Amino acid sequence: MNERELLEAAGRLPKSIEPPSDLWPGIEARLGRGGGRSRRWYWVGLAAAAVVALVIVMTQRNAWKVTWLAGAGPGSLRVGQWVETDDSSRALITVGRIGHVEVRPRTRIQLVVARADDHRLALARGAIEAKVDTVPRIFFVETPVGTAIDLGCAYTLEMDSLGNGLLHVTAGVVEFQGRGHMARVPMGALVQTRSGVGPGIPYVEDAPEALRRALAASDLRAILKAARAADAISLWHVLQRVDSGARGAVYDRLAGLVPPPDGVSRGAALALDAAVLDAYWTHIHRILFRKMILRGVRDIDPRTGTRVR
Amino acid sequence: MYALCLRLTGDAGAAEERTQDVFVRAWDKLRSFRGESAFSSWLHRLAVNVVMNERRTTFRREQRVTPVADPDTVVGAQHAAPLHGSAGLSIDLERAIAALPEGAREIFVLYDIEGYSHAEIAELTGLAEGTSKAQLFRARHLLREKLDR
Repeated sequence: MNERELLEAAGRLPKSIEPPSDLWPGIEARLGRGGGRSRRWYWVGLAAAAVVALVIVMTQRNAWKVTWLAGAGPGSLRVGQWVETDDSSRALITVGRIGHVEVRPRTRIQLVVARADDHRLALARGAIEAKVDTVPRIFFVETPVGTAIDLGCAYTLEMDSLGNGLLHVTAGVVEFQGRGHMARVPMGALVQTRSGVGPGIPYVEDAPEALRRALAASDLRAILKAARAADAISLWHVLQRVDSGARGAVYDRLAGLVPPPDGVSRGAALALDAAVLDAYWTHIHRILFRKMILRGVRDIDPRTGTRVR
Repeated sequence: MYALCLRLTGDAGAAEERTQDVFVRAWDKLRSFRGESAFSSWLHRLAVNVVMNERRTTFRREQRVTPVADPDTVVGAQHAAPLHGSAGLSIDLERAIAALPEGAREIFVLYDIEGYSHAEIAELTGLAEGTSKAQLFRARHLLREKLDR
Protein backbone atom coordinates (compact mmCIF):
# COMPACT_ATOMS: atom_id res chain seq x y z
CA MET A 1 0.00 0.00 0.00
CA ASN A 2 1.35 3.40 -0.90
CA GLU A 3 0.71 6.65 0.96
CA ARG A 4 -1.97 7.85 -1.45
CA GLU A 5 -3.96 4.64 -0.92
CA LEU A 6 -3.58 5.01 2.83
CA LEU A 7 -4.88 8.57 2.76
CA GLU A 8 -7.77 7.60 0.51
CA ALA A 9 -8.69 4.86 2.95
CA ALA A 10 -8.47 7.31 5.84
CA GLY A 11 -10.73 9.68 3.93
CA ARG A 12 -13.33 6.96 3.57
CA LEU A 13 -13.54 6.27 7.30
CA PRO A 14 -16.98 7.12 8.67
CA LYS A 15 -17.34 10.45 10.43
CA SER A 16 -19.81 8.94 12.83
CA ILE A 17 -19.67 5.82 14.99
CA GLU A 18 -22.42 4.89 17.39
CA PRO A 19 -21.14 4.12 20.90
CA PRO A 20 -21.80 0.59 22.17
CA SER A 21 -24.00 1.87 24.94
CA ASP A 22 -26.30 4.84 25.32
CA LEU A 23 -24.20 7.68 26.76
CA TRP A 24 -27.01 10.14 27.34
CA PRO A 25 -28.25 8.76 30.68
CA GLY A 26 -24.77 9.31 32.11
CA ILE A 27 -24.50 12.75 30.58
CA GLU A 28 -27.93 13.75 31.82
CA ALA A 29 -27.11 12.47 35.31
CA ARG A 30 -23.95 14.57 35.36
CA LEU A 31 -25.77 17.60 34.04
CA GLY A 32 -28.35 17.10 36.77
CA ARG A 33 -25.56 17.30 39.31
CA GLY A 34 -24.36 20.52 37.77
CA GLY A 35 -21.75 18.85 35.56
CA GLY A 36 -18.15 19.58 36.37
CA ARG A 37 -18.63 23.28 36.75
CA SER A 38 -16.57 24.88 39.46
CA ARG A 39 -18.63 26.78 41.99
CA ARG A 40 -15.86 27.70 44.39
CA TRP A 41 -16.18 31.42 44.04
CA TYR A 42 -19.56 32.94 44.31
CA TRP A 43 -18.51 36.07 42.47
CA VAL A 44 -17.32 34.02 39.53
CA GLY A 45 -20.80 32.56 39.30
CA LEU A 46 -22.34 35.99 39.41
CA ALA A 47 -20.02 37.28 36.72
CA ALA A 48 -20.73 34.25 34.56
CA ALA A 49 -24.46 34.75 35.02
CA ALA A 50 -24.08 38.36 33.93
CA VAL A 51 -22.17 37.27 30.82
CA VAL A 52 -24.78 34.62 30.07
CA ALA A 53 -27.56 37.15 30.43
CA LEU A 54 -25.71 39.52 28.12
CA VAL A 55 -25.15 36.78 25.54
CA ILE A 56 -28.79 35.77 25.70
CA VAL A 57 -29.96 39.34 25.27
CA MET A 58 -27.56 39.87 22.37
CA THR A 59 -28.59 36.58 20.79
CA GLN A 60 -32.25 37.47 21.07
CA ARG A 61 -31.55 40.70 19.26
CA ASN A 62 -29.90 38.84 16.43
CA ALA A 63 -32.06 37.97 13.47
CA TRP A 64 -31.86 34.69 11.63
CA LYS A 65 -30.90 34.98 7.97
CA VAL A 66 -33.48 34.03 5.34
CA THR A 67 -32.29 33.14 1.84
CA TRP A 68 -34.95 32.85 -0.82
CA LEU A 69 -34.35 29.83 -3.05
CA ALA A 70 -37.33 30.74 -5.21
CA GLY A 71 -39.41 33.87 -5.03
CA ALA A 72 -38.62 36.81 -2.78
CA GLY A 73 -39.27 38.02 0.75
CA PRO A 74 -37.60 39.45 3.86
CA GLY A 75 -33.92 38.60 4.26
CA SER A 76 -34.06 38.15 8.01
CA LEU A 77 -36.33 36.75 10.67
CA ARG A 78 -36.69 38.11 14.19
CA VAL A 79 -38.56 36.67 17.14
CA GLY A 80 -42.28 36.99 16.51
CA GLN A 81 -41.92 37.40 12.75
CA TRP A 82 -43.21 34.98 10.11
CA VAL A 83 -41.89 33.52 6.87
CA GLU A 84 -44.62 32.61 4.43
CA THR A 85 -44.17 30.97 1.05
CA ASP A 86 -46.70 30.79 -1.77
CA ASP A 87 -47.24 28.06 -4.36
CA SER A 88 -43.86 28.54 -5.98
CA SER A 89 -41.55 30.19 -3.44
CA ARG A 90 -39.05 28.46 -1.15
CA ALA A 91 -36.76 29.87 1.51
CA LEU A 92 -33.84 28.73 3.60
CA ILE A 93 -33.77 29.89 7.23
CA THR A 94 -30.40 29.80 8.94
CA VAL A 95 -31.10 28.51 12.44
CA GLY A 96 -28.74 30.56 14.59
CA ARG A 97 -25.42 28.83 14.12
CA ILE A 98 -26.61 25.26 14.43
CA GLY A 99 -28.21 24.47 11.09
CA HIS A 100 -30.89 25.47 8.65
CA VAL A 101 -34.50 24.88 7.75
CA GLU A 102 -35.75 24.81 4.19
CA VAL A 103 -39.25 26.22 3.98
CA ARG A 104 -41.16 24.60 1.15
CA PRO A 105 -44.03 26.11 -0.86
CA ARG A 106 -47.35 26.94 0.85
CA THR A 107 -45.78 27.12 4.29
CA ARG A 108 -46.19 29.55 7.17
CA ILE A 109 -43.63 29.46 9.96
CA GLN A 110 -42.75 31.79 12.83
CA LEU A 111 -39.59 32.36 14.86
CA VAL A 112 -40.59 31.94 18.50
CA VAL A 113 -37.33 31.81 20.45
CA ALA A 114 -33.78 32.55 19.27
CA ARG A 115 -31.43 31.81 22.14
CA ALA A 116 -28.20 29.84 22.26
CA ASP A 117 -29.94 27.16 24.34
CA ASP A 118 -33.37 27.29 22.68
CA HIS A 119 -33.94 27.64 18.95
CA ARG A 120 -37.68 27.45 18.42
CA LEU A 121 -39.90 27.78 15.37
CA ALA A 122 -43.66 27.38 15.09
CA LEU A 123 -44.98 25.68 11.96
CA ALA A 124 -48.54 26.85 11.37
CA ARG A 125 -48.89 24.83 8.14
CA GLY A 126 -46.86 23.55 5.21
CA ALA A 127 -43.61 21.62 4.98
CA ILE A 128 -40.06 22.10 6.17
CA GLU A 129 -36.81 20.21 5.90
CA ALA A 130 -34.59 20.73 8.96
CA LYS A 131 -30.91 19.91 9.30
CA VAL A 132 -29.21 20.78 12.56
CA ASP A 133 -25.87 19.94 14.06
CA THR A 134 -25.94 20.49 17.80
CA VAL A 135 -26.52 18.87 21.17
CA PRO A 136 -29.99 17.39 21.77
CA ARG A 137 -32.97 19.47 22.89
CA ILE A 138 -31.72 22.77 21.55
CA PHE A 139 -33.88 22.96 18.42
CA PHE A 140 -37.68 22.74 18.53
CA VAL A 141 -40.48 23.06 16.02
CA GLU A 142 -43.90 23.66 17.50
CA THR A 143 -46.94 22.55 15.51
CA PRO A 144 -50.71 22.61 16.02
CA VAL A 145 -50.56 19.14 17.65
CA GLY A 146 -47.26 19.11 19.48
CA THR A 147 -43.56 19.82 19.35
CA ALA A 148 -40.80 18.17 17.35
CA ILE A 149 -37.73 18.03 19.58
CA ASP A 150 -34.41 17.56 17.88
CA LEU A 151 -32.06 15.00 19.36
CA GLY A 152 -29.38 15.68 16.72
CA CYS A 153 -30.75 15.08 13.29
CA ALA A 154 -32.26 15.85 9.93
CA TYR A 155 -35.91 15.50 9.13
CA THR A 156 -38.85 16.63 7.05
CA LEU A 157 -42.09 17.71 8.65
CA GLU A 158 -45.27 18.48 6.78
CA MET A 159 -48.53 19.42 8.40
CA ASP A 160 -51.84 21.09 7.73
CA SER A 161 -53.20 23.87 9.90
CA LEU A 162 -55.21 21.37 11.98
CA GLY A 163 -52.21 19.23 12.84
CA ASN A 164 -52.59 16.35 10.40
CA GLY A 165 -49.13 15.61 9.10
CA LEU A 166 -46.08 13.45 8.72
CA LEU A 167 -42.61 13.52 10.28
CA HIS A 168 -39.87 11.65 8.42
CA VAL A 169 -36.46 11.40 10.07
CA THR A 170 -33.46 11.00 7.78
CA ALA A 171 -30.66 11.26 10.37
CA GLY A 172 -30.43 11.02 14.15
CA VAL A 173 -33.55 10.95 16.30
CA VAL A 174 -36.51 13.27 16.75
CA GLU A 175 -38.93 13.15 19.63
CA PHE A 176 -42.45 14.37 18.97
CA GLN A 177 -44.53 15.27 22.00
CA GLY A 178 -48.13 16.35 21.97
CA ARG A 179 -51.62 15.66 23.30
CA GLY A 180 -50.16 13.50 26.05
CA HIS A 181 -48.30 11.22 23.67
CA MET A 182 -44.62 10.84 22.87
CA ALA A 183 -43.15 9.37 19.70
CA ARG A 184 -39.43 8.75 19.41
CA VAL A 185 -38.57 8.61 15.73
CA PRO A 186 -35.12 7.39 14.69
CA MET A 187 -33.38 7.65 11.33
CA GLY A 188 -35.30 5.80 8.65
CA ALA A 189 -38.66 6.01 10.43
CA LEU A 190 -41.82 8.10 10.13
CA VAL A 191 -44.73 9.08 12.29
CA GLN A 192 -48.08 10.52 11.35
CA THR A 193 -49.77 13.17 13.42
CA ARG A 194 -53.49 13.70 13.67
CA SER A 195 -55.52 16.66 14.72
CA GLY A 196 -56.60 16.36 18.33
CA VAL A 197 -54.66 13.12 18.77
CA GLY A 198 -50.99 14.06 18.47
CA PRO A 199 -48.32 11.74 17.19
CA GLY A 200 -49.27 8.23 16.16
CA ILE A 201 -47.06 5.17 16.34
CA PRO A 202 -43.75 5.50 14.43
CA TYR A 203 -42.91 2.93 11.77
CA VAL A 204 -39.87 2.20 9.65
CA GLU A 205 -39.68 3.22 5.99
CA ASP A 206 -40.13 -0.34 4.72
CA ALA A 207 -42.91 -1.27 7.13
CA PRO A 208 -45.46 -3.58 5.49
CA GLU A 209 -48.61 -1.95 4.21
CA ALA A 210 -50.67 -4.21 6.49
CA LEU A 211 -48.86 -2.81 9.52
CA ARG A 212 -49.33 0.78 8.39
CA ARG A 213 -53.04 0.21 7.91
CA ALA A 214 -53.31 -1.51 11.29
CA LEU A 215 -51.49 1.35 13.01
CA ALA A 216 -53.72 3.92 11.36
CA ALA A 217 -56.78 1.96 12.47
CA SER A 218 -55.36 1.24 15.95
CA ASP A 219 -56.18 -2.42 15.31
CA LEU A 220 -54.03 -4.16 17.91
CA ARG A 221 -54.61 -7.69 16.69
CA ALA A 222 -53.63 -6.73 13.15
CA ILE A 223 -50.60 -4.79 14.44
CA LEU A 224 -49.29 -7.80 16.34
CA LYS A 225 -49.87 -10.03 13.34
CA ALA A 226 -48.21 -7.75 10.79
CA ALA A 227 -45.18 -6.64 12.83
CA ARG A 228 -41.77 -8.05 11.95
CA ALA A 229 -38.55 -7.85 13.96
CA ALA A 230 -37.67 -4.77 11.90
CA ASP A 231 -40.86 -3.14 13.22
CA ALA A 232 -39.78 -3.35 16.86
CA ILE A 233 -39.83 0.44 17.25
CA SER A 234 -43.55 0.37 16.49
CA LEU A 235 -44.25 -2.32 19.08
CA TRP A 236 -42.12 -0.48 21.65
CA HIS A 237 -44.45 2.49 21.29
CA VAL A 238 -47.61 0.37 21.16
CA LEU A 239 -46.60 -1.19 24.48
CA GLN A 240 -46.88 2.20 26.13
CA ARG A 241 -50.12 3.23 24.45
CA VAL A 242 -52.34 0.20 25.12
CA ASP A 243 -54.32 -0.53 28.27
CA SER A 244 -52.53 -2.50 30.94
CA GLY A 245 -54.60 -5.58 30.09
CA ALA A 246 -53.21 -5.69 26.56
CA ARG A 247 -49.58 -4.94 27.43
CA GLY A 248 -48.67 -8.57 28.04
CA ALA A 249 -49.57 -9.59 24.52
CA VAL A 250 -47.64 -6.66 23.04
CA TYR A 251 -44.59 -7.33 25.18
CA ASP A 252 -44.59 -11.03 24.36
CA ARG A 253 -44.78 -10.29 20.64
CA LEU A 254 -42.01 -7.70 20.90
CA ALA A 255 -39.78 -9.96 23.00
CA GLY A 256 -40.44 -12.81 20.58
CA LEU A 257 -39.28 -10.69 17.66
CA VAL A 258 -36.39 -8.85 19.34
CA PRO A 259 -35.26 -10.54 22.55
CA PRO A 260 -34.80 -7.92 25.27
CA PRO A 261 -31.30 -7.06 26.52
CA ASP A 262 -30.08 -8.03 29.98
CA GLY A 263 -31.81 -6.09 32.70
CA VAL A 264 -35.15 -5.82 30.91
CA SER A 265 -37.74 -7.92 32.68
CA ARG A 266 -41.30 -8.55 31.57
CA GLY A 267 -42.72 -7.29 34.86
CA ALA A 268 -40.83 -4.00 34.77
CA ALA A 269 -41.70 -3.45 31.12
CA LEU A 270 -45.40 -4.08 31.78
CA ALA A 271 -45.20 -1.63 34.68
CA LEU A 272 -43.77 0.87 32.15
CA ASP A 273 -40.62 1.35 34.18
CA ALA A 274 -38.89 4.25 32.41
CA ALA A 275 -35.33 2.96 32.81
CA VAL A 276 -36.28 -0.49 31.55
CA LEU A 277 -38.15 0.90 28.56
CA ASP A 278 -35.18 3.12 27.77
CA ALA A 279 -32.83 0.14 27.91
CA TYR A 280 -35.07 -1.78 25.54
CA TRP A 281 -35.28 1.27 23.25
CA THR A 282 -31.51 1.63 23.15
CA HIS A 283 -31.20 -2.02 22.17
CA ILE A 284 -33.83 -1.74 19.43
CA HIS A 285 -32.47 1.56 18.18
CA ARG A 286 -28.95 0.20 17.93
CA ILE A 287 -30.15 -2.72 15.83
CA LEU A 288 -32.07 -0.38 13.55
CA PHE A 289 -29.10 1.97 13.29
CA ARG A 290 -26.77 -0.84 12.27
CA LYS A 291 -29.30 -2.08 9.75
CA MET A 292 -29.66 1.38 8.24
CA ILE A 293 -26.02 2.31 7.95
CA LEU A 294 -24.97 -1.11 6.69
CA ARG A 295 -27.79 -1.38 4.17
CA GLY A 296 -26.36 -2.68 0.94
CA VAL A 297 -23.06 -3.48 2.64
CA ARG A 298 -23.89 -6.24 5.04
CA ASP A 299 -27.02 -8.20 5.96
CA ILE A 300 -28.01 -7.54 9.56
CA ASP A 301 -30.24 -9.83 11.61
CA PRO A 302 -33.14 -7.57 12.69
CA ARG A 303 -33.58 -9.68 15.85
CA THR A 304 -30.10 -9.14 17.19
CA GLY A 305 -28.28 -6.57 15.09
CA THR A 306 -25.50 -9.01 14.31
CA ARG A 307 -24.26 -9.94 10.90
CA VAL A 308 -26.22 -12.65 9.08
CA ARG A 309 -23.75 -15.37 8.19
CA MET B 1 -18.13 12.94 18.63
CA TYR B 2 -17.78 9.38 19.84
CA ALA B 3 -15.88 8.49 16.66
CA LEU B 4 -13.38 11.28 17.28
CA CYS B 5 -12.87 10.30 20.93
CA LEU B 6 -12.60 6.63 20.02
CA ARG B 7 -9.92 7.27 17.44
CA LEU B 8 -7.99 9.66 19.64
CA THR B 9 -7.99 7.37 22.68
CA GLY B 10 -7.92 4.02 20.88
CA ASP B 11 -10.06 2.62 23.66
CA ALA B 12 -13.83 2.15 23.66
CA GLY B 13 -14.28 2.66 27.41
CA ALA B 14 -12.16 5.79 27.50
CA ALA B 15 -13.95 7.08 24.41
CA GLU B 16 -17.32 6.73 26.14
CA GLU B 17 -16.02 8.65 29.15
CA ARG B 18 -14.49 11.39 27.05
CA THR B 19 -17.64 11.70 24.91
CA GLN B 20 -19.68 12.22 28.05
CA ASP B 21 -17.09 14.73 29.29
CA VAL B 22 -17.36 16.63 26.01
CA PHE B 23 -21.12 17.03 26.19
CA VAL B 24 -21.07 17.96 29.86
CA ARG B 25 -18.37 20.54 29.15
CA ALA B 26 -20.25 21.75 26.08
CA TRP B 27 -23.38 22.21 28.15
CA ASP B 28 -21.46 24.15 30.78
CA LYS B 29 -19.84 26.36 28.17
CA LEU B 30 -22.76 26.61 25.80
CA ARG B 31 -23.85 30.05 26.81
CA SER B 32 -20.35 31.33 26.31
CA PHE B 33 -20.37 30.09 22.72
CA ARG B 34 -19.98 33.34 20.83
CA GLY B 35 -20.45 32.02 17.37
CA GLU B 36 -17.05 32.94 15.98
CA SER B 37 -17.11 29.53 14.29
CA ALA B 38 -19.79 27.01 13.37
CA PHE B 39 -21.17 25.19 16.38
CA SER B 40 -19.89 21.86 15.07
CA SER B 41 -16.36 23.27 14.77
CA TRP B 42 -16.56 24.64 18.30
CA LEU B 43 -17.76 21.32 19.66
CA HIS B 44 -15.13 19.46 17.70
CA ARG B 45 -12.32 21.56 19.08
CA LEU B 46 -13.74 21.24 22.56
CA ALA B 47 -13.65 17.45 22.16
CA VAL B 48 -10.02 17.46 21.10
CA ASN B 49 -9.19 19.68 24.07
CA VAL B 50 -11.03 17.39 26.48
CA VAL B 51 -9.15 14.33 25.26
CA MET B 52 -5.79 16.09 25.27
CA ASN B 53 -6.32 17.63 28.70
CA GLU B 54 -7.32 14.31 30.15
CA ARG B 55 -4.14 12.75 28.83
CA ARG B 56 -1.97 15.56 30.09
CA THR B 57 -3.45 15.67 33.58
CA THR B 58 -3.73 11.99 34.39
CA PHE B 59 -0.68 10.57 32.61
CA ARG B 60 -2.74 7.47 32.49
CA ARG B 61 -2.13 5.13 29.67
CA GLU B 62 -5.41 3.68 28.59
CA GLN B 63 -5.61 0.09 27.61
CA ARG B 64 -6.02 -0.05 23.89
CA VAL B 65 -8.50 -1.93 21.82
CA THR B 66 -7.21 -5.43 21.44
CA PRO B 67 -7.30 -6.68 17.87
CA VAL B 68 -9.53 -9.73 17.72
CA ALA B 69 -10.43 -12.25 15.12
CA ASP B 70 -13.89 -10.92 14.36
CA PRO B 71 -13.79 -7.33 13.10
CA ASP B 72 -17.40 -6.89 14.23
CA THR B 73 -16.37 -7.14 17.85
CA VAL B 74 -14.05 -4.17 17.58
CA VAL B 75 -15.94 -1.02 18.38
CA GLY B 76 -15.98 1.15 15.32
CA ALA B 77 -14.31 -1.37 13.10
CA GLN B 78 -17.63 -2.45 11.66
CA HIS B 79 -17.81 0.94 10.00
CA ALA B 80 -14.40 0.88 8.48
CA ALA B 81 -14.17 1.06 4.74
CA PRO B 82 -12.50 -1.99 3.30
CA LEU B 83 -9.10 -1.05 1.91
CA HIS B 84 -8.61 -1.18 -1.85
CA GLY B 85 -12.37 -1.73 -2.04
CA SER B 86 -11.80 -5.36 -1.12
CA ALA B 87 -13.52 -6.96 1.84
CA GLY B 88 -11.00 -9.76 1.72
CA LEU B 89 -8.18 -7.87 3.42
CA SER B 90 -7.90 -9.06 6.96
CA ILE B 91 -6.64 -5.93 8.70
CA ASP B 92 -8.79 -2.88 8.57
CA LEU B 93 -7.69 0.64 9.05
CA GLU B 94 -9.68 1.32 12.21
CA ARG B 95 -7.93 -1.48 14.05
CA ALA B 96 -4.56 -0.45 12.74
CA ILE B 97 -5.12 3.11 13.92
CA ALA B 98 -6.25 1.92 17.35
CA ALA B 99 -3.05 -0.08 17.67
CA LEU B 100 -0.76 2.85 16.88
CA PRO B 101 1.37 4.34 19.66
CA GLU B 102 -0.58 7.06 21.45
CA GLY B 103 1.26 10.12 20.14
CA ALA B 104 1.35 8.91 16.56
CA ARG B 105 -2.29 7.92 16.66
CA GLU B 106 -3.42 11.34 17.87
CA ILE B 107 -1.51 13.19 15.19
CA PHE B 108 -2.72 10.85 12.43
CA VAL B 109 -6.34 11.21 13.57
CA LEU B 110 -6.13 14.98 13.85
CA TYR B 111 -4.23 15.57 10.61
CA ASP B 112 -5.27 12.87 8.17
CA ILE B 113 -8.81 12.16 9.36
CA GLU B 114 -9.99 15.37 10.99
CA GLY B 115 -8.13 17.78 8.73
CA TYR B 116 -6.31 19.93 11.30
CA SER B 117 -3.11 21.68 10.19
CA HIS B 118 0.19 21.09 11.96
CA ALA B 119 -0.04 24.60 13.41
CA GLU B 120 -3.48 23.87 14.85
CA ILE B 121 -2.30 20.52 16.20
CA ALA B 122 0.65 22.23 17.83
CA GLU B 123 -1.74 24.65 19.51
CA LEU B 124 -4.06 21.88 20.66
CA THR B 125 -1.44 19.46 21.90
CA GLY B 126 1.33 21.75 23.03
CA LEU B 127 3.77 19.94 20.74
CA ALA B 128 6.12 21.70 18.34
CA GLU B 129 5.02 21.67 14.71
CA GLY B 130 8.11 19.69 13.81
CA THR B 131 7.18 17.02 16.34
CA SER B 132 3.69 16.85 14.88
CA LYS B 133 5.13 16.30 11.41
CA ALA B 134 7.51 13.64 12.68
CA GLN B 135 4.71 11.81 14.48
CA LEU B 136 2.57 11.93 11.35
CA PHE B 137 5.39 10.45 9.28
CA ARG B 138 5.83 7.74 11.89
CA ALA B 139 2.09 6.98 12.04
CA ARG B 140 1.76 6.68 8.26
CA HIS B 141 4.82 4.47 8.09
CA LEU B 142 3.52 2.19 10.83
CA LEU B 143 0.07 1.97 9.27
CA ARG B 144 1.38 1.11 5.84
CA GLU B 145 3.63 -1.47 7.36
CA LYS B 146 0.77 -3.00 9.31
CA LEU B 147 -1.71 -2.94 6.45
CA ASP B 148 0.78 -4.46 4.02
CA ARG B 149 1.26 -7.49 6.24
